[in-house]
Amino acid sequence: MTPVEHAFSQSGLLAKAIAGYSPRQAQIDMALEVHEAINNQSSLIVEAGTGTGKTFAYLIPALLANKASDGGEGKKVIISTGTKNLQEQLFHKDLPLIRKALATNAQMALLKGRSNYLCLYRLDQYKQSRGQLDAQALSDFVNVQTWATSTISGDIGELVNVPEGSTVFPFITSTVDNCLAKDCPNIKECHLVNARQKAIDADVVVVNHHLFFADMALKDTGFGELIPKTDVVIFDEAHQIADIASEYFGEALSTRLLLDLCSDVIQIYLTTLTDVKQLGKAAEKLQRTCQEFRLLFNHDPERGNWREKLPQPQFSKAFADIKTDLDFLYQVIKLCVSRNEAIDNCFDRAVELLAKYEIMAKVDIFGISFWYETTRRHVVLHQTPLSIAEKFSENIKNSNAGWVFTSATLAVNESFDHFSEQLGIKHAAQLLLDSPFDYAKQSQLIVPRYLPQPHHNNRAQALVNIAEPLIKASAGACFMLFTSYRMMHLVAEILAQTIDNPLLVQGTMGKRKLLEEFESNTDAVLLATASFWEGVDVRGDKLTCVIIDKLPFASPDDPLLQARSEDNKRQGGDPFADIQLPQAVIALKQGVGRLIRDVKDKGVLVICDDRIVNRPYGQVFLKSLPDMRRSRNIDSAATFLASISAERSHGE
Amino acid sequence: MQTHVIFTLMPDDATDEGAHLVQACLQAAHYFRHNQRVFIYTQNQADAHQIDELLWSFDPDSFIPHNLIGEGPKNGAAVEISWQKPTSRRPVLINLTSQVPDFAGQFSQIIDFVPANEALKQQARDRFRTCRQWGFQVDTQAVHAAQSTS
Repeated sequence: MTPVEHAFSQSGLLAKAIAGYSPRQAQIDMALEVHEAINNQSSLIVEAGTGTGKTFAYLIPALLANKASDGGEGKKVIISTGTKNLQEQLFHKDLPLIRKALATNAQMALLKGRSNYLCLYRLDQYKQSRGQLDAQALSDFVNVQTWATSTISGDIGELVNVPEGSTVFPFITSTVDNCLAKDCPNIKECHLVNARQKAIDADVVVVNHHLFFADMALKDTGFGELIPKTDVVIFDEAHQIADIASEYFGEALSTRLLLDLCSDVIQIYLTTLTDVKQLGKAAEKLQRTCQEFRLLFNHDPERGNWREKLPQPQFSKAFADIKTDLDFLYQVIKLCVSRNEAIDNCFDRAVELLAKYEIMAKVDIFGISFWYETTRRHVVLHQTPLSIAEKFSENIKNSNAGWVFTSATLAVNESFDHFSEQLGIKHAAQLLLDSPFDYAKQSQLIVPRYLPQPHHNNRAQALVNIAEPLIKASAGACFMLFTSYRMMHLVAEILAQTIDNPLLVQGTMGKRKLLEEFESNTDAVLLATASFWEGVDVRGDKLTCVIIDKLPFASPDDPLLQARSEDNKRQGGDPFADIQLPQAVIALKQGVGRLIRDVKDKGVLVICDDRIVNRPYGQVFLKSLPDMRRSRNIDSAATFLASISAERSHGE
Repeated sequence: MQTHVIFTLMPDDATDEGAHLVQACLQAAHYFRHNQRVFIYTQNQADAHQIDELLWSFDPDSFIPHNLIGEGPKNGAAVEISWQKPTSRRPVLINLTSQVPDFAGQFSQIIDFVPANEALKQQARDRFRTCRQWGFQVDTQAVHAAQSTS
């Protein structure tokens, strides 16, 4: 029996560490494959359905590889997860357990993104210059100051008495742009530098995908040091990495960065360089121009093709104005260079922003997508490479490491082609492990009959008619997800008049707050856009019914999708089958995974889009989804939901 | 072009009233796989819903894109289920009503059933006769295993 097999056996290390442990073949199969990948420095792709126990299946071989290496140095392991929450769960819960079970003294490190660490320099600056604070911000700031003197890690996650979205955080953390880096007077005590150093020295490092690809694309100072030293790279939630990697291999210019620069310059003018009036004026001018630029776009957040927008007169003028004002600000700052570190930093940022501006102005380059997205206040211009396969596979080839890609949702139509082609992963071992859940008993997939066509006037009312009995039967443990804000608001309006349940609508409060309200308010129904669902973690019995208005195809207006589709067509592909369909399949699989999280969970997924029934590609969805009981009868869903609600209240 | 009608004889032990509905779905699957568009004509809406539900719950490997009349794409899916007259031209009719519909002649292929139930069987005999009278080429076939899996 190999050490890996032994760890998972009936009398093995896990059995000793976890009460009630019983070996599962799928988990052992995965662990053995992970072990192989590590040993042979090869790549492995594993889809492990919800409930397989994939975390232990990669942690154990990884830690064993770190421990046992015949007297030589142990293997260094990086584990990259999708979100900060998952990072923390791995680091604080799963890793300590395995570490104890394997009796290893491997050094562990948790490395988060820059914005998670207290910046002592900025804290100091803020102490001196802070303006009028409201009561909440003031109390938050007092709490930050008390904590700052005692913290060792500087991880703002420790600050339990300051709410997550507090307005003080931007002032006490740094960004790539406002960090003074080696010129910083506080560099010796810098929490971020310390955390990075710890990560470089550790045996096992837990990061997230954003950090990982920032490191790979050398997008932050002090990066590019982590990956070369690594022997094992494990991606959990690997279905997200293609998109995140594209982001880091591309460029972005955001009005937020411009406005941050402006406000820092104004702050310097108000505190240290009070003699240079032009600083304040130039910065204020650029602020106004950026705000006017945002106003040219639609009020509601959207994405679009920047290459098509830029030639339009009003946009080209406003964009040119930004250049004029940024240039002027640059000239003014230049006159102050070397008067202090802060202004020098602003100078570097202005230079960088001008360089990025030039990138966004040259929209006729081939093989690259130019697009924009807007938030309520900001515009972000993006330049994204159409494919990262070449760059990524180059990195894998040169790494001399074992690479493991795992997630509950990687396969489309029982194949990994879509995933591996995106990333250029060749010759990877593949493993597809089914979930141990009994989906046919635990869940139903409903596609209601006689749905009006997508653009029909009656559609909102039809959705309400479907939702009403289900909301009632689920007693409010219900999400409604939409592909457009417009439909979400229309349905919210009608529902507000027809049902008594409180409605939680995306946009009325922050995502976290919305979810808290949903969990604490038994009757509340949540209405959100489709992307809201990804990464949402709601306790099983709180969410038994999810109604989605359309199959989660990316909007055909999405500029990045358009560019990729054109490129695919040029190469003789079928963009729908090669790009759009796989993407939608993965999104829907993700959703099912959020609905049924446990052997005891039950739930209904209602898809108000009959294309899954009447188009040939419906088969690809069904073959990729778990085997839920299918029906087209809404009453069947309501009966099932009512039985779940009854069970639940009986159990309480 | 002469309309060709095949009456499928349900085995005597298939007394379950829905037995020939399942058989109808399997036939629809057969024609779908041969790229022939199918019109399933039912006695009423309830029967149509039953067929719809059966097709939707088929194993994903034998997925059949279908729609009820009143939903779905403009020209209908590969298989359309209706208790009303057809609105588009299709080559194959699967008849689940008690009579031969008067539009039967526009189809080149008709599938009908002879259920085990005695009363239903009598109706099927009448339909058989009507088809002959209308000059259709009429054949019978037994349900055999190859059909239910192919």
